[in-house]
Amino acid sequence: MSGSDDTSDGIREEFLAEAGEIVEVLSRDLLVLDQGQKEGKPDPDLINDVFRGVHTLKGIAGMFGYHQVGAVAHALEDLLDDLRLGRVELTQDVLDVLFDGVENFQRLLGGASEAGNAGDMDLSSYAESIERVSAVHEPVADALGGYDIDPGVLGVLTEYEEHRLRTNVEQGVPLFRLHVSFSLASIDSSLEELKARAKPMAEIITYLPSMGETSGDAIDLDVLLASRAPLSELEGAFGSLGIELAPIARRPVRATQPPPASASSVPPSPGPSADAPATGQRAGMSPPPVPGVGRLTMPPRHAAPPSVPPPDIESAGGAGQDALSLRSVSNSVRVDIRKLDHLMNVVGELAIVRSSVGRVTERIRGRPELRQVATDLHRINRSFERHLEELQNGILDVRMVPLKQVFDKLARVVRQVARDHEKEVRLLVTGAETEVDKLIVEELSDPLMHIIRNSIDHGVEKPKMRELAGKPTIGTLAMNAYQKGNHVVIEVEDDGAGMSDQKLLETAIRRGLVSEEARGDLSHEEILNLVFLPGFTTKSAITDLSGRGVGMDVVKVNIGRLGGVVDLQSEQGIGTKVSITLPITLAIISALIVRVCARTFAIPLSAVQEALVLDPAAIRTVEGREVLTLRGSTVPLCRIAQAFDFAPPEGEAPHKHYVVVSALGLRRVGFVVDELQDQQDIVIKAMGKSLSGVRGFAGATDLGDQRVALVLDAPALLEDVLLGSERPRATGSVT
Amino acid sequence: MTDDIVRGPTMRPSLAQAVPALPGKPQVGMHELLAFTIAGECYALPLTAIQEILKVPPVTEVPRAPRDILGIISVRGRVTTVLDLRRRLGMHERPVTKHSRVLLVDDGDEIFGVLVDSVLSVYRLLPEEVELAAAIAGDTAEYVRGIGRPKAGRAFGRSPMGRAGLESEDDIIILLDAASLLRSHRSS
Repeated sequence: MSGSDDTSDGIREEFLAEAGEIVEVLSRDLLVLDQGQKEGKPDPDLINDVFRGVHTLKGIAGMFGYHQVGAVAHALEDLLDDLRLGRVELTQDVLDVLFDGVENFQRLLGGASEAGNAGDMDLSSYAESIERVSAVHEPVADALGGYDIDPGVLGVLTEYEEHRLRTNVEQGVPLFRLHVSFSLASIDSSLEELKARAKPMAEIITYLPSMGETSGDAIDLDVLLASRAPLSELEGAFGSLGIELAPIARRPVRATQPPPASASSVPPSPGPSADAPATGQRAGMSPPPVPGVGRLTMPPRHAAPPSVPPPDIESAGGAGQDALSLRSVSNSVRVDIRKLDHLMNVVGELAIVRSSVGRVTERIRGRPELRQVATDLHRINRSFERHLEELQNGILDVRMVPLKQVFDKLARVVRQVARDHEKEVRLLVTGAETEVDKLIVEELSDPLMHIIRNSIDHGVEKPKMRELAGKPTIGTLAMNAYQKGNHVVIEVEDDGAGMSDQKLLETAIRRGLVSEEARGDLSHEEILNLVFLPGFTTKSAITDLSGRGVGMDVVKVNIGRLGGVVDLQSEQGIGTKVSITLPITLAIISALIVRVCARTFAIPLSAVQEALVLDPAAIRTVEGREVLTLRGSTVPLCRIAQAFDFAPPEGEAPHKHYVVVSALGLRRVGFVVDELQDQQDIVIKAMGKSLSGVRGFAGATDLGDQRVALVLDAPALLEDVLLGSERPRATGSVT
Repeated sequence: MTDDIVRGPTMRPSLAQAVPALPGKPQVGMHELLAFTIAGECYALPLTAIQEILKVPPVTEVPRAPRDILGIISVRGRVTTVLDLRRRLGMHERPVTKHSRVLLVDDGDEIFGVLVDSVLSVYRLLPEEVELAAAIAGDTAEYVRGIGRPKAGRAFGRSPMGRAGLESEDDIIILLDAASLLRSHRSS
């Protein structure tokens, strides 16, 4: 690999990491916005944050040549700009588009990290949906809280002024109209005075020349004020300027579209339509006949910035913002997980070195003249061991990330799925700060997503159903995580309909997974576990949500691959709880070390249910295959020696064998081995690509005696046994 | 002996850099080769493809693996597949001896261990000393890049045992191609 490749790789990763972080923050902000929108008070600052995030993303995407990312960011930026300036109202539809934007970013960035360059995606339909929601430009006069402000006035407000106006209305600050008459000669100083007086108690939103009864040497201005101060106080402040001051009337009805003029009873108010301008009444502000002229005739406009300090949105999108984003704000370091894997390998090597030193120490301990040396060496080795352990824990610690990373993504799924299904779901998350190995977190999102889809699709009932059942109309989905010893438990719990044993059984029988006769023999737990069988799905019509061709069996297998287990509890009418128990790290797992025909294998403890001495008397054959009767249930046996075609060891066969019982859902298999050696923490390492086609092994591990032991892939072997398939042999390529 | 280029498991960036000055100046187009023996025949791989030469560590067999894969070893914590070159070339296997070596060969995609009977020495062959594969047919042609016929005195060092090395000027070296030798294993 040439140096320049390294550099561009590094730059790419830098970009991807940074962009990824921005997108994650976006996603979080959008969720809060969503909540705010539902409660009717979206936080404008948050919209600004999202706008800024997208803007930064656009900037760095452009800088690194990720044009598609840049294009999406650009389109979203426009939409967000409209949102923050109130030109587009924040609705669930708009939020959908924004959430889709996050998805698109993630897909593009995901494609970029795999393909080495931004993956090509057809974004035209997305562009259209942005277009669609952006096009819903509400007429300017809407949503002003029923204030009778002349549309002609609104028509000439600058974007910023309009935004300030809306903000004040939203915050419930009363509006006032001030009519002043200044002499043309002293207008500058008079305006300054007006502003100075207004500052402590009011915000001047705009001032426009009034076209009413203008005398020759004076100019009349209509000033729009926002202030919480009572009218009397304002009068006191401005009174000396000889001014008319009146609160602007507010219609009692709040409506998105201004109601027809007849609805407003208090002052005679001009309708919002532009072709019916006010004619100088008190209530409305007189608009200039031609808005453009009005602007031009405003002498101080260019010299008069808003009298309040500009709100923070002013800085959004400015050059200063870009400069900021290039500086690192935290003192953390991003590290490629592979580098940590490498360090972990080195630690593993050091552990091997340490045990070699231990062996040498033992050897020289036997020599009387070297006893002192041996003692010293032993002491040094102990200290070495301690530090090594610290180092190992330190590296493991660095790999840990909070589950928040995956929970945040899932919160989006919850919202989306609930909306698609017209269900109302409240998400409760606890323990998001629980830390797990980065690799596990990555692998968790798909299984969890599937479980959540199931919960909302099959579990939580529609609001009406819930009402009938006497439950609150809004369903609750809880994601809880907590640490339990060396494991992390993640629970997904809903208060939905629960699973019906009856239905589960019927489905299983229909699919031939359970025989009709066996139906009475199954306990509640066993029936629940039927959902983990391949090909099981309770909804007869396949929905696009849960029925994506993957079932809970895939969830089980995937979690199993991470060394975890899935448990299911469900009570009809009360709800369902899925619990996932995972090891905290993949880097080191507990394994049972077994021997077969003088060869050593490791079986991940997560796959082991129990291990016992094989009682030859308990073996039966069913259709030529050996099974073991274990406490009343039948467990097929798999003799590892036969599965792998090992020649029987020379001499007598061992008089005793052991069975390691492994379970996958309801199905169990007993692996027959010669010897149970011990239990050990191991580091699983991948085998080279050349052996990736060989089925039955999850990898290999160094047991510390320079020999490599294979780690059995229990789920794969179990499947082979249960499918009764001819052992698939890697058809290697002996040519 | 060739112990000067055989190392235990220690870090070394590249074997090519570790080879001391050879007789004769390197020339453009020259073939730099590491020669070794398989079943009495002399083979060679380009020196640049070879990362390291190891004494044979304990090898763990992998059930269900293709037949010409001897097993896996751990090289500084990395699990490495070992190819038995005898089996690969369709010859009878034989137990590992004290002369057996594992060459770590990088074909650009994966680092393999390649088990050979013994390592001979490094050769530099002039272009005219190599006959390219086009002219040769046969079972092994797939991995064979050409045939080298070094003129006397070109070998660096002596053959380890005398019996399997290049005894006369008429001996030939079969030049193997690392990539095609290892390739078929990844497609499987």
